[in-house]
Amino acid sequence: MWSRDLDDQIREALSQEIEAARPELEGLEERVISALATRLAKPSIWQRLRQLFLPGMTPRWAFAGGIALALALGFIIGRLITPSPTPLSSYAQAGTLFAVVDPGAQSVAVVGDFSAWQPVPLSDPDGDGVWTAVLNLPPGRYEYAFVVDGRWIGQDPLADEYVRSFGDYASVRYVGSGGGA
Amino acid sequence: MIPGELELVQKSLAGDLEAWGEIVRRYKEAVYGVTVAILRNRADAEDAVQEAFIRAYERLHHYDLSRKFSTWLFTVAANVAKNMLRKRRRQDPPAKLDCAPDPAEATWKEEVEQAVREAVWSLPEIYRVPMVLRYWHELDLSEISQVLGIRPGTVKTRLHRGRALVRAQLVQRGVIRDVV
Repeated sequence: MWSRDLDDQIREALSQEIEAARPELEGLEERVISALATRLAKPSIWQRLRQLFLPGMTPRWAFAGGIALALALGFIIGRLITPSPTPLSSYAQAGTLFAVVDPGAQSVAVVGDFSAWQPVPLSDPDGDGVWTAVLNLPPGRYEYAFVVDGRWIGQDPLADEYVRSFGDYASVRYVGSGGGA
Repeated sequence: MIPGELELVQKSLAGDLEAWGEIVRRYKEAVYGVTVAILRNRADAEDAVQEAFIRAYERLHHYDLSRKFSTWLFTVAANVAKNMLRKRRRQDPPAKLDCAPDPAEATWKEEVEQAVREAVWSLPEIYRVPMVLRYWHELDLSEISQVLGIRPGTVKTRLHRGRALVRAQLVQRGVIRDVV
């Protein structure tokens, strides 16, 4: 089954599921209006709490204070739990080279079917803007792309060909028996 | 914006609940698509749809009229469903897919369709939801990115990985052959 057939099958499967719920959604308009009318008739819990504890404080200041506290907590927790990236040494030293030249990039990764589309980080240890990773791939055809600071870069100049996928390009590399492209 | 939609939103902002009812009628199935993708349970998804429309009405003054309304509405729905999912995870074990028909009665074609459906709905949430937004809602990458609050590159990798996982499941079940 090729990608396009699979795409059609997935689309059909989702349609069937959502179509099946149609009868249960009958009359939802009335239920929403009724619930809204009930809610609007009485003040919300937040409004009542604010009147009780913060009678002089505007909602904007109360909201800003809450955000500041949440950010501070988030920063502390984030520092504690952020994992370190996978070291390049975990990949084979000889194999297929993936490279991106982008001196301004903060993070560069390659994603592809060889990694089940999970990001494999590229590194730039000397800071010259050339990001590389060498992966030991068995012979075969591989679709991949780079993700540079969250942007999808589907057309690698080193690719053998390009394919269209999800409305954008992905690169294709054919790896021979020596492990190189 | 769809013709008449801006007027409906403006009337709703002015407190016209009937106008909001029309918005609900137009979007309820699409919003259900978002909530069921996240919650994977019809009853919960229906509850979430209702709550999403209530929440959206209450926050309508935050909606930027220059933005696409459906994208904003899906964002609200996704947040409601995610909150429900978090509560449910605290209370119950993971939900099992509740929409599979009896496989004994299925023909081969139906069997394939069912296998695809089960493969999609058994994906982890982070892959399932972008796939529903892409394949069923036909949102583009930037819209999915807005709805889910993740970067477009991440959306794309999740779509690719989601499809690869579906394919792998179908290969494993013998529904399709692996093609390299």
